[in-house]
Amino acid sequence: MDVIVSRSGGIAGLRLTWRVDVDTQPDPDRWYVLIGEIPWEEAPAAPPEPDRYTYRIRCEPHEGAAHEDAGHEGDDHEPTSPKPHDDAAAEAREATLAERQLTGPWRELFDRVREAAEPQRGGRAER
Amino acid sequence: MPPWLLDRIAAADPQYPTAAEAARRSLLRDGPMREWRNAAEPPPFAERETDARTPSILAESVRPDRRISDAGGEESLPGRLVRREGEPPTGDTAADQAYDGLGETHRLFARVFDRDAIDGAGGALEATVHFGDHYDNAFWDGERMVFGDGDGEVFRGFTESLSVVGHELAHGVTERTARLRYSGQSGALNEHISDVFGALVEQYAMGQDAAAATWLIGEGVFTSAVQGRALRDMLNPGTAYDDDVLGRDPQPAHFRDYIETTDDNGGVHLNSGIPNRAFALAARELGGFAWEHAGRIWYDALTSGRLRPTDGFHVFAAETVRAAEQRYGADSREARAVDAAWREVGIEPPEPRA
Repeated sequence: MDVIVSRSGGIAGLRLTWRVDVDTQPDPDRWYVLIGEIPWEEAPAAPPEPDRYTYRIRCEPHEGAAHEDAGHEGDDHEPTSPKPHDDAAAEAREATLAERQLTGPWRELFDRVREAAEPQRGGRAER
Repeated sequence: MPPWLLDRIAAADPQYPTAAEAARRSLLRDGPMREWRNAAEPPPFAERETDARTPSILAESVRPDRRISDAGGEESLPGRLVRREGEPPTGDTAADQAYDGLGETHRLFARVFDRDAIDGAGGALEATVHFGDHYDNAFWDGERMVFGDGDGEVFRGFTESLSVVGHELAHGVTERTARLRYSGQSGALNEHISDVFGALVEQYAMGQDAAAATWLIGEGVFTSAVQGRALRDMLNPGTAYDDDVLGRDPQPAHFRDYIETTDDNGGVHLNSGIPNRAFALAARELGGFAWEHAGRIWYDALTSGRLRPTDGFHVFAAETVRAAEQRYGADSREARAVDAAWREVGIEPPEPRA
């Protein structure tokens, strides 16, 4: 699973992108727990503030990860509930937030990403 | 004597009381004459004549009400109030640059556009400096201008540039007038308006005419390590920087190169290059001081009450042509220059909305 944060906007209109491969981090389980806790479908709405940053946060499962997990879910005889990260690893998630909304678990995820990876600058604007 | 210089002397009364008083009298006397000289024909409406006299009278009486706060490197607002209107410099560069920059911006709006502060009613101009830790940005949060110190590697402090300070204050003016929605084309117009008045504040403060002006936004915010002149170039969008780390200035200069993107609220800081170039072309075609013609036309369009929040480039172009016709006459060189400038960036102004 990769976590990708793309920060765009700002008065300079420059984009920065951070990418972290969660599975190569020393504590992947903590990442998956955090990703599982984030209310992805409920990114709070707020009017954009001129020149303030916009954050697009994405989780991208690696090739095959979703497939493994689907098999896991289909196993009726599995007595234990799946570990939280199995859930989190299964699906691609995405949310776009204004800087003011980047609080709580969102902020925690971004701070972790920023600590774990150096940002890449520029690149073509995303469609 | 050029009006901008008179304004500056008039504003400097503590040091030069006699000269300041003389300059103010001269402004009052010459204001209407300057209007008439600049107009290709007499104003079409009687109230225009009255309007034209108002700025210098307003400028006599209004003073900004500035309040500068210091966030102390935290990301919380407003921070600690460090300088109120009329108080001496704090010695903190960012706080004093913000104070001075807001003063210059207030002066342009009051003296040239007859607008007293953001709300047009002398409301406070509030700014916070030292926001965040190495924060690479400046923004308008709906109530105040907020300035970061920059990371020191790519960006220096954002109060270094008068056009950036003017840009932020102009966001407040747009919010109180045309309310252009900050997304897609209307968002790029919102950005464009801020660049226009940011550039005009700098030109007015420096007494630069359209030919001498740099048309740069944010000159001075990059460190010397960056291969670039500024954040944006209004006259030649896409040429402000070309740097190993930052990449190349991505702004389009023509409507055929409009960038569709989900970044940056739909590329508001990218596509503003298109109307920016139209403004700079019109101003240079007309010559002289940009705030005396193109700036007035744009301000008229912004404050006409005719724009809707979701309007795009074409409607805005039509409104600027209409504003030029209203102020200077239907076939005036001002109206023709504005129309031609839009066409040059690929926007054919339609008939204005009824």
